[in-house]
Amino acid sequence: MSKSRDDRREQKPKQKLSSVFRNNLYMLGRIARYTPAYFVLLLVEALIMGALDSAAALFNFNLLNAVDEGTDFGYAVRIIALMAAFYLAAFAFQRWYHFIRLPLMRQKLHLRMHEELFIKARSMDLACFDDPAFYNDFVWAMNESDTRAVEVLEDTGALITRVAASVTMFSLLFTIDPVIAIILFASTVVTIVCNLIGNKVSFLHEKENNPRWRKRSYINRVYHLSDYSKELRIRHADELLMAEYDRNTEEIIRTDRKFGIRYFFLYGLAWGMVGQIVSYGLTLYMILLLTKGEIEVGGFAATISVVWSIRWMLTDLVERLTKYRKHSLYIEKYLEFLRFEPRVTGSVTDVPPFESLELRDVSFSYVFADHPQYAFHEADYEPPAQESGGKDALRHVSLTIRKGDKIAIVGYNGAGKTTLIKLLMRMYDPTDGVILYNGTDIRTFDPEAYRARIGTVFQDYKIFAASIAENVMNGPYTDADEQRVLDALVAADFTDKLDTLEEGIQTHLTREFNEKGVNLSGGEAQKIAISRVFARDYPIVIMDEPSSALDPLAEYNLNRSILQNTGGRTVIFISHRLSTTRIADTIYMFDTGRLIEQGSHDELLVRDGKYAEMFRLQAEKYRESVEEDV
Amino acid sequence: MKGKRERKPGEKKKKLPLGRTLSNNLFALRCIWQASPLYLIVYLGSSFVYGALDFLSESYMLRRVVNGVETGEPTEDIIRFVVILGVVNIVISITLGWFWNVISPGKQRRVSAYVEKMLFRQAAKVELGCYENPAFYDKYVRAMDEAYNRITRVMKTLDDLIARVIALSANSVLLFIIDPWLILFGLFPLLLGFFRRLENIATHDLETARKPVNRRAEYVKRTFYLNEYAKEMRIGGMWGNMLRDLRAAYREYRSLVYKYGAKQAIYGYIQRVGLDVVTILGATLYAVWRCMVIGPENGGMLVGDCIVVLTSIGTISYCLNNLIQNFAEFGEHALFLEDVRFFLDYQPAIKDGPDTAPEGGGDVTVENLAFRYEGAETDTLHDVSFTWHKGERLALVGSNGSGKTTLVKLLLRLYDPSEGRVTLNGEDIRSFTLDSYRDGFSTVFQDFKMFSLNVKENVLLRPAREGDDELVENALKESGAWNKISTFEKGLDTILTREFDDKGENLSIGEQQKLSLARVFADRSPFVLLDEPSSALDPIAEYTMFENMMRATKGRSVIFISHRLSSAVLADRVLLMDHGTITEIGTHAELMKQNGKYAAMFRRQAENYLGSGVSEHE
Repeated sequence: MSKSRDDRREQKPKQKLSSVFRNNLYMLGRIARYTPAYFVLLLVEALIMGALDSAAALFNFNLLNAVDEGTDFGYAVRIIALMAAFYLAAFAFQRWYHFIRLPLMRQKLHLRMHEELFIKARSMDLACFDDPAFYNDFVWAMNESDTRAVEVLEDTGALITRVAASVTMFSLLFTIDPVIAIILFASTVVTIVCNLIGNKVSFLHEKENNPRWRKRSYINRVYHLSDYSKELRIRHADELLMAEYDRNTEEIIRTDRKFGIRYFFLYGLAWGMVGQIVSYGLTLYMILLLTKGEIEVGGFAATISVVWSIRWMLTDLVERLTKYRKHSLYIEKYLEFLRFEPRVTGSVTDVPPFESLELRDVSFSYVFADHPQYAFHEADYEPPAQESGGKDALRHVSLTIRKGDKIAIVGYNGAGKTTLIKLLMRMYDPTDGVILYNGTDIRTFDPEAYRARIGTVFQDYKIFAASIAENVMNGPYTDADEQRVLDALVAADFTDKLDTLEEGIQTHLTREFNEKGVNLSGGEAQKIAISRVFARDYPIVIMDEPSSALDPLAEYNLNRSILQNTGGRTVIFISHRLSTTRIADTIYMFDTGRLIEQGSHDELLVRDGKYAEMFRLQAEKYRESVEEDV
Repeated sequence: MKGKRERKPGEKKKKLPLGRTLSNNLFALRCIWQASPLYLIVYLGSSFVYGALDFLSESYMLRRVVNGVETGEPTEDIIRFVVILGVVNIVISITLGWFWNVISPGKQRRVSAYVEKMLFRQAAKVELGCYENPAFYDKYVRAMDEAYNRITRVMKTLDDLIARVIALSANSVLLFIIDPWLILFGLFPLLLGFFRRLENIATHDLETARKPVNRRAEYVKRTFYLNEYAKEMRIGGMWGNMLRDLRAAYREYRSLVYKYGAKQAIYGYIQRVGLDVVTILGATLYAVWRCMVIGPENGGMLVGDCIVVLTSIGTISYCLNNLIQNFAEFGEHALFLEDVRFFLDYQPAIKDGPDTAPEGGGDVTVENLAFRYEGAETDTLHDVSFTWHKGERLALVGSNGSGKTTLVKLLLRLYDPSEGRVTLNGEDIRSFTLDSYRDGFSTVFQDFKMFSLNVKENVLLRPAREGDDELVENALKESGAWNKISTFEKGLDTILTREFDDKGENLSIGEQQKLSLARVFADRSPFVLLDEPSSALDPIAEYTMFENMMRATKGRSVIFISHRLSSAVLADRVLLMDHGTITEIGTHAELMKQNGKYAAMFRRQAENYLGSGVSEHE
């Protein structure tokens, strides 16, 4: 099913000329807004380049005619001096432009576009990340759109240069002999046709090879990244990858050959032969004119060189023109990403102090993982398949959390614990049912403002390449925050490690781009993540398996510390380690998306249901050995 | 030592000695030759043909035609010459068109596959420490990124060189015949080579200085688009810091451009002026003077000669200038290839020994082991000694950062000890070949990885053979992953991850861990190393897994690291590590009696399950 969808999407490039035009124009407009200097200077440069090409042709023509006719030497010297002066000035501009202005302006454009993209990316629904089709397009927009923008602009510049130069040269040819100009023009049409067909062929070619390039870059990455380095060394996974690589190479070669034959007929035969025949034909034609005395020797030489340059320029011009079609395709993707409206939104930014959080008959299903809902094009949407009902991550869950509660959510892997947290944080909106904050549907709140009420330690927390202080604040840090950060680190039991760090809380974490950065162990990193919830006064604190990377002693300290430091705040623990969660006031036991038991630890033990079974299983080993011991 | 070899901008060491430059470029050609001799021959051969054809159809034809007309040669002769030239040109361009479009892309793949596989093989060989050394790692990444590109560019440069030498000599001869003095103009660009070199140095410096700035910007980008950061970026204000870093990177880049870009611009300007103004316009002026003022009657130039000068002097000076550029390019290629060769020639510090490790395992003895990570100030391990008897199952416990994982890495010879040694049946493990030694181990790392391969291959981590299906299925059953895998339509042939297969399956962390455990069950190697094998498993899965593991590893020597001391009870002996050394060793019962740190840790954990009475209970 997803195949047919991909096919449809990939066949899209049948765009209307008007949209090609509009998209490219739009991109140019954006660039003009981001970096006006770039836009203006590029146009200036393009015109100077065009003038340079034209001047060279006119120079040759006039000078040779002057020599041929034997006019006075002073005139020839003046032409040469003029040309020299022009060169000196134009080159000076060019160098300055290419080596100082251009890199800076490009970088600036890159920065401006990325800032916008990044902010957009942050506002995107988390669900978008789960939809592979959307995500691919999104990653593309992140990685490529600025290079595309530069290409659109540079191509436009080159286009102006070529047009300016070829207009001059064509008029020159016309004054010499109109027939030459017309033949030359006709051969350009052949070039255009070949190019158009060629573009279609190369699109198919790319499409066929794309999955293979993906595989190749994956294999490359495995060898690149230190993540895989251990696994590659201890077993023979590299043999597997090599075999895969070889198969892949052969497939690419076969495809290249298949398309190579088409390219050969198109470019090697049609285009190449027409070009050669026209060039030599024109030469012969002019020899005839020359022998008949209809043109001068000077004109003859100038024409020959002009014919060569025009042929080259027109080919280049056409190639660039056809590129706009491709640009447009990519710009379309970029624009659709920018225009994408997040679905998890809300307008009320004033979120009242926390009183209660209620889930009312909430169900949720990650349908987008298999059935993309977040596709750019609405038309691409296909309704979820029938059986999706069985895949709900949460089913009809109702529960209420009040201010100051210490609750625990427990259950086996895949019970829906983490999904529940994501819903509470409004990373997703429920498929069915509502979540009420102080009785108000949380969908009415601005997600950003709402989330600011909740401090969360994710199971897969991330440490950023920034200072410890910034990592703890999970955002900007000022000196006024120092005590806050230190206290939070104490609460998270990070002090032992902190004492060994020379730069204290200013220590840079990770070696991503700082060679003096410190790489923390898994347990230490988790402590940093935990300290984040202590650093700010969140009324609600969520701990998603906070102790999984901690050793027993640290876990013990952490549990105590969380209880001590969270005071009157609401705490939600998630765990499959029941020793952590017995301290909770209320325990909610989940099983395959359903809430099956709830109550305090003692109540649940008395009830002797699934929770009791699970607890006993975990306690057993300790019990046996302690009894043995005694 | 490796760290110091990194080139910093502004430092002197810019140019390789001539011999090394030559040898690096020859290395590139050798790579291509080995991958496909035909490609190299035709590629370079065609440049001879193109060089000759271009000369014939430009300067030579012009002179032939103009002179022919002026001397009254029969028009048919001139036309015949042009037609023959045209036909030859067309035939050759069709023949070579076939080569470029049909043959050449496949050959290029062969070359890139040859180069990449060479790098991959070496990448799998260098010791793990290399990944932790940023200087080495940079070089490695650069080698991976640049190798193929540079190697083909060496060929391209050589190709240009050949075409230019031909054009240069042909046009020089022609000019020499017309007026020997013109050669002086042609030689002038040689003087410009000096500036070209300066420009190249500035370019290289800019690129090198830019690398760290780029790294920073790339990192920021990742935090915004990678799924793994998506949640954190949606809470808190870290995104603001990231944008600030991005702007800082831009400002840093700006100062680099001002510093190096100005140099590039000035040196470049001098070259262009020298070429286009001094050489070409100078020669033109001279030719026009010889033709108009001196005149042919006084030994000056004919109009036809003057025309040839105008086209030929340009060709000569461009060729000469580019010739210099070609040589500079060889220098540049050599610099980049230096990284590639440094990487390829790097002798891994962890080397094969001469012997094959005994197949059935044996007693492993660790003697006074000490280890320090490169660049670290303190030892991560020190004075570690113990014996791991054949068939014994040890639990390795201790707080975070006590050196447990490092010890495992040393046992696997992913690192070699700074002091002391590890022996297998009394022989230093450094005396065994790496492959034969490591083949004796089944290992599950804390940060285990799944590959984008099918389930079967992910479990076996080697090419599948006949009858492996049953083996894998049993292993998956033992590790508890079968429940999940059996629901997949394609079963064992299901591709994991969606890296490049949209129908691939993404497993949860817990399932991934079960699958990586199946690797141990599918393998009969005598040693088993498990680094926190159950951290992502829920209690039931953990319990079943440990039971199965104990059953399935009967007779094999096992070391497992675990934070949950309930599992340590199952081990034959427990090793407690603290601050890089082993502080307690013995059976669970012994250590409980000893009443040291282990006993304290165990009681604290048990307390939560059994009520606070336990500690007093004793």
